[in-house]
Amino acid sequence: MRSRLLNPWSDNRAERTLGAVSLLVGVAVIAMIVFVAVQAWPTISHNGGIEWLGSGGKLERQVEAMNNAGTNPTPADYHLRAWPLVYGTLLTTVIAVAFGLVIAILSSIFIVDIAHDRVKGTVVPVIRLLASVPSVVYGLLGILVLVPFVGNHIITSSEKAQHAGEVQLTGQGLLVTVVILTVMITPIMVALICEALESVPKSWREGAIALGVNPLRAMLAVTLRAARPAIVAAAVLATARALGESIMIAMVSGGVSFAPRPEDGIVAIFEPLRTLASFIVSFQEGTGATALKSSLYAFALLLLVGALVLSVCGYLIKLPLRKYQVKG
Amino acid sequence: MKRIRRLSAAIAAVAALGVAAPAVASAATTITISGATASYPLVSLLAQKYNKVHPKKIKFKIAQGGAQVGVNDVAAGRVTIGDVSRDPEAKDPAGLVFYPIAKYAICVVTNKSNPLSNLTSSQLSSIFTGKTKSWSGVSGASASGTIDVISRTSVAGVLTNFQTILLEGKKVVESATQEASEGLLKQQVESDPNSIGFISNYQADKGGVNVVGLNGVGCSRATALSGQYAGVARFYEVTKGKATGAASQFIGWIEKSAAAKKIINTQWISIS
Repeated sequence: MRSRLLNPWSDNRAERTLGAVSLLVGVAVIAMIVFVAVQAWPTISHNGGIEWLGSGGKLERQVEAMNNAGTNPTPADYHLRAWPLVYGTLLTTVIAVAFGLVIAILSSIFIVDIAHDRVKGTVVPVIRLLASVPSVVYGLLGILVLVPFVGNHIITSSEKAQHAGEVQLTGQGLLVTVVILTVMITPIMVALICEALESVPKSWREGAIALGVNPLRAMLAVTLRAARPAIVAAAVLATARALGESIMIAMVSGGVSFAPRPEDGIVAIFEPLRTLASFIVSFQEGTGATALKSSLYAFALLLLVGALVLSVCGYLIKLPLRKYQVKG
Repeated sequence: MKRIRRLSAAIAAVAALGVAAPAVASAATTITISGATASYPLVSLLAQKYNKVHPKKIKFKIAQGGAQVGVNDVAAGRVTIGDVSRDPEAKDPAGLVFYPIAKYAICVVTNKSNPLSNLTSSQLSSIFTGKTKSWSGVSGASASGTIDVISRTSVAGVLTNFQTILLEGKKVVESATQEASEGLLKQQVESDPNSIGFISNYQADKGGVNVVGLNGVGCSRATALSGQYAGVARFYEVTKGKATGAASQFIGWIEKSAAAKKIINTQWISIS
């Protein structure tokens, strides 16, 4: 046995072993999705398929009923309408990615095209560092610095009084969540987009400039255009991180399953919310109650499906952009 | 070749360690504990002292996770003892035995800039159920504007106790901000001048917030000890069936010995 292991492997054998290992990864992913789906099934089936994604009633009370039902819930205890969570997730993710993408594209153009080498030499490593800061650090800064600032200096007491009884404006809410989320995901996008812009052959741009196009327009029309697949890839990666962000959002979003209401005007940006991922973190203590556990699995399944849809969409969007693709 | 041999030697060494470590651990009796974050400081102090009094007899592994985690883990047999910060409930799995080990007070707290000294029971439930929405309706409060009610998520043991003991079964208003832990709740009360919340007495004793009295009685260890303060709850050690062996000895020591009582009475209140 020992000598067999220590002797060099034949190509055939090494291939099969490596193939088995990579197959194992695929099997593990499928097994995980199936397991989560099976665990989530009671919640899904007792709520008529996809009705639990809709709105209706108070989510807080539904969760309380699940928790109180303990280990022997009746089908009625599974009643769940999780729209506020789905809405909160979509709202934070879409806003943060939209802002982040604009900032990332503009700053990448600056770094690649305009910045002096010395500036570039400091900014790029700093951005790489920012991209790897653990999210709980951002959460801590949010709860200790941003939330009190917004709550005590930006929200007026008349705004608070106007909505008293429906929703508390404490500073924890959409604004702080989106600001921190944007700060968290932008560095990843900047790093990826910079690399893509740099890998576009210089001659392409020089050709455009030689034809009389000014440098900024050449950047936008040629270099940025060629880097589009990489920009989509960066956005997909950032969206995935924003979707799954849990601990930071649980700390700064206000911990109420309330959906910010656009009809409240500007006040809506101060209103608290919960996302699917932050809900799972906040209620992990509730896994003792069978119905609540199944519902947490349902939220996890939704996040898994969301990630899957996201990567498929990213792939489909990239297909027609491949024409002028550079490797990025 | 040489590299592969070295690699396999390293793997073998790690594997040997992996097999050996549990073997060493099982030589001494191990008590595993999980559960309430609130009682963790007390239980870990007790475990340290127990090991000093009975050297090398027992190895403790204490994890946190929350009262409900303690109940689930002990019911499923994953741990020897579960720590629970609320009274037994009808929904708890059958066959669990709750041993009360200490009492603690639940204090109502406000921001330092709002040194409210006292609330009556009816004022308290009016504020926490959302009937009183503004500080101008609360006599003695120096804050103005809306009241921000800071609560805990519905799975927290302290919230359950707060509602049954201090709100007489009424529910905290739905719009209340929910925090996932006592620390986060305290932080929010510290930073928001309009807020009111509730935490256990040893968290309140650490300062940073204004502690509000109830019906003319201040919230402290002393008033909870004398029985004047109404909001007193219990910590439990929970076992599946009656405690046996090392767990039984440990719980018995907490209940009876003078050393344990001394530790409990530093910040908490002993049962007897």
